[in-house]
Amino acid sequence: MAMAVVTGLLGWGQGALAQDIKLGMIAGLSGFGASYGASMQQGVEMAIKEINDAGGINGRKLVEDVADDASDPAQSVLAMQRLVNDHVDIVVGGWGSSMVLANMEVAERAGMPYIVVGASNPRITTKRNKWTFRILTNDNGHAVQLADLAVQTLHMKRIAVINDSNDYGVGARDIFIARLKELDESPVDVESYGSNDKDFTAQLSHIAAANPDGIALMGTLPAVPAILNQARDQGIDARFFGPAGLSNEAMITLAPEASQHTIATAYFHEDLDPQAKAWADKYTAMFKNAAQAPRPSQAVSAYRGVYMAADCLKKVGTDKDKVRLCLKDWHGHFFGLPPADLHFDDTNQLVVPVVIEEVQGKGFAVFKPAH
Amino acid sequence: MIRLLPFVVAALLPLVANDYLLEIGSFVAIQSISVIGLGYLTGFAGRISLAQGGLYGIGAYTAALLVTGAHCPPLLALPAAILAAVLVGTLLGSPAIRLSGLYFVMSTIGLQQIIWIVLMHWSSLTNGPMGVREIPPLSVAGFALASPERFYWACVVFAAGSFFLARRVVASRFGLFLRAVSDDELSAATSGVRVVRTKVLALALSSAWAGAAGFLHAFFLRFVHPDMFTLDLSVVQLTMAMFGGYRSLDGMMIATLILGSASEYLRPFGQFRLVVYGGILLLTMMLAPRGILPALAGLRRRR
Amino acid sequence: MPPQILIGGLGTGCIYALVGLGFTLVYRGIRMVNFAQGQVFMAGTFLGLFLVQTLGLSAIPLLIAVPVISFAAGWLLERIVFRRLFHSHEVFVVGAIGLGVMIENGIRAAFPEPLPFPKIFGTGVYRFIPGVLFQKTYLWIVVITILLVILLHVLFTHTRRGRALRAVASDAEIAGTMGVSVSGAIGFTFGLSFAVAAIAGILIGPLYFVSPDMGEMVGLKAFSAAVLGGINSVVGTILGGVLLGLVEAIAAFYLSTDYKDLFAFAILMLMLVVRPQGLLGRVVPVKV
Repeated sequence: MAMAVVTGLLGWGQGALAQDIKLGMIAGLSGFGASYGASMQQGVEMAIKEINDAGGINGRKLVEDVADDASDPAQSVLAMQRLVNDHVDIVVGGWGSSMVLANMEVAERAGMPYIVVGASNPRITTKRNKWTFRILTNDNGHAVQLADLAVQTLHMKRIAVINDSNDYGVGARDIFIARLKELDESPVDVESYGSNDKDFTAQLSHIAAANPDGIALMGTLPAVPAILNQARDQGIDARFFGPAGLSNEAMITLAPEASQHTIATAYFHEDLDPQAKAWADKYTAMFKNAAQAPRPSQAVSAYRGVYMAADCLKKVGTDKDKVRLCLKDWHGHFFGLPPADLHFDDTNQLVVPVVIEEVQGKGFAVFKPAH
Repeated sequence: MIRLLPFVVAALLPLVANDYLLEIGSFVAIQSISVIGLGYLTGFAGRISLAQGGLYGIGAYTAALLVTGAHCPPLLALPAAILAAVLVGTLLGSPAIRLSGLYFVMSTIGLQQIIWIVLMHWSSLTNGPMGVREIPPLSVAGFALASPERFYWACVVFAAGSFFLARRVVASRFGLFLRAVSDDELSAATSGVRVVRTKVLALALSSAWAGAAGFLHAFFLRFVHPDMFTLDLSVVQLTMAMFGGYRSLDGMMIATLILGSASEYLRPFGQFRLVVYGGILLLTMMLAPRGILPALAGLRRRR
Repeated sequence: MPPQILIGGLGTGCIYALVGLGFTLVYRGIRMVNFAQGQVFMAGTFLGLFLVQTLGLSAIPLLIAVPVISFAAGWLLERIVFRRLFHSHEVFVVGAIGLGVMIENGIRAAFPEPLPFPKIFGTGVYRFIPGVLFQKTYLWIVVITILLVILLHVLFTHTRRGRALRAVASDAEIAGTMGVSVSGAIGFTFGLSFAVAAIAGILIGPLYFVSPDMGEMVGLKAFSAAVLGGINSVVGTILGGVLLGLVEAIAAFYLSTDYKDLFAFAILMLMLVVRPQGLLGRVVPVKV
């Protein structure tokens, strides 16, 4: 009896058959990261549908097993453990560095190939990693590029910094300031805020007093557009720039005027190549009526992750160690990014470029420095 | 015999469960320790505390920092975790213990928020928003409890120990004082109960249980982060302590079992999971205001 | 100190005060704390957004429609839900938390992303003093808070209904024997508490964004404000809210933005030890 209850619970999902290949998807589909989780889920769903429509993995169907971690580090450990117990063949997902830092330990211990698509803290990829791979640029990459851009391309002389005091914002800020020092610059003011803050008057008053010509903003929604709006209301007209937390179409919706000309590093831009454009159009059409509005920049990383997983599952089958070795040797190219030969370094971090974009009107355009 | 349910489930679980369900089991067992601790205040001293999650965090951080930074053997970190939670809980909580109910709640919210802010921002001590990683597995005299099953048994033994210890405390003279103070402070005082001392002791005991649970939490996830110990956790533990019925340790255990494993059996509801969870809390309170334990017992009698 | 800091603190403080009033009203009526109050405030914002988007209401009609609907919702919820929770304070607290979780996550399932709220109070800026920007929205917040307090005062002191509410607040049993409909008064109280929280919701909307988790922190601060000012006093709650808003803003500017909440809560805890009944609260034997 107890057995039936227990197995009944575990059987929830897609009604997977023994010959199907199971892809675990982990993200916060509830809790404060729900909006990001929903976008990732859309990317995964789209990729799986395409792969199955094209004949699956060597004739076997790819099915998804979703684990919601409620955007909570403790829950995310349990969610990953569930995927391990469901005997999924590979895991794609992970949103938020606090969640990934917690749940990757389970994947490492269980020997589960894990492709991280939504967390950028540098500490996620270290020499210790055996099973955890990350396919997006970490905060180091973004912050260094931004510092170079601000000083060398935009010739900013008085740079202020405002960051979320979570691991994402603090990590990016420290690397950014260190790079500025290497370029013989130092910030005129550094401010921080809490993820739940709504009112940024105090920080912005300090920034206004420092009279900057550029402001580095390390954070995510909903604080980012609120800061932009409140800065303009306070009469601050310096240009904002920041890492991929800013590369979210919702920022423009929430701060349509204040976000103009804001610069962000991003994981995707549809104008870089025709394939990217076609993908973005198809994706947007597919999720036009979903509760979560389609956000190509938020969904693309999960979509790429599934394709990378499928690549290796096709090549070497479902033996986990073979999949891991295949990922380690993976070489390829992502649409929507500057062309480069992508591969993993010895910490399982994908060596991947970012695209620099700028808000123009109602969308992002690829950033082109003025001559 | 419904009160035996948590123990029957705990004993039988390893026979049928895989590692994942054992982890859920460990999680529920750890929560139950902290919830039982909260029971000293809510159930027996008539005080609602919303700082339990923070004190639990103090225990977890003390253990995590001692074993990773000072390479302290895990078992030695247990008394340290308990002591740290008791110190913070009583030093910052006892000035408010004289306050009547509502104001005490408010001051515990303050305490909870202050603990979280310090964990988050005092980076040189706590590693701030990066959290503490690479906590080794719990080991007893060189014997590592690394597998989910071994760790599960450790949690169950801890939880059962804490439960029976709490039963002894509640049945003791001190327990009598607690109930007297909760029922009527004035008449308790006139019959010779030292009211303030009794309440401070209840606070210390509840902090101690939180610290012990936090200690296990550190070895359960082997990663601690300030966001694990927010007001949300305090609210969850408070609902577990009150859901089971007034002054009933058995009720607290059953409530922890029902609510702590909810994330599992509510999974079919997908993104509406938490809506259903809220609905369970609300409907149970509306339909069974005397607690689930009396309600279940009543159900049995009727049948 | 830049006057901007004071203006911002005053605006935020008024929001804390209005949401705090919801706690105060319910507490006066039934001596219990409604832990879903923050979510009621958040739902009020979403209701406002819905009415603006579907019916295109402007500021004044919205400020009438939202409280009227919220009043009805509060009254109805009291009939169906809350009165079944009056059994004991444990039951009420857990039940209200459950209701809050349901409201928040139900709305999140439909609106996962933060949404912009139309600038219904205009985007203009006043310069009463040279160099000081005073946003129109802040002016609305302050003026409406003052109007509401006057309105509530008139209701409580000069109307039959209000006197009945006060009678119930001071002693429900005696009020009942004097012929006051206690159950009617409590329903009215919940309606009123929902209405003020919802007004706060639409006032804050244009200032920030609308998201399902906005109620949590505001609810917490508003509760603090009510306790700080004296939870059985309407004027005290307003004072508590404004003070808390100002203290936060000043601490954030002069001391540290990381630790601003720490200062706010530390002041609160000290205050509780020194003057537990709150700034303007009366000492009454209470038991939550």
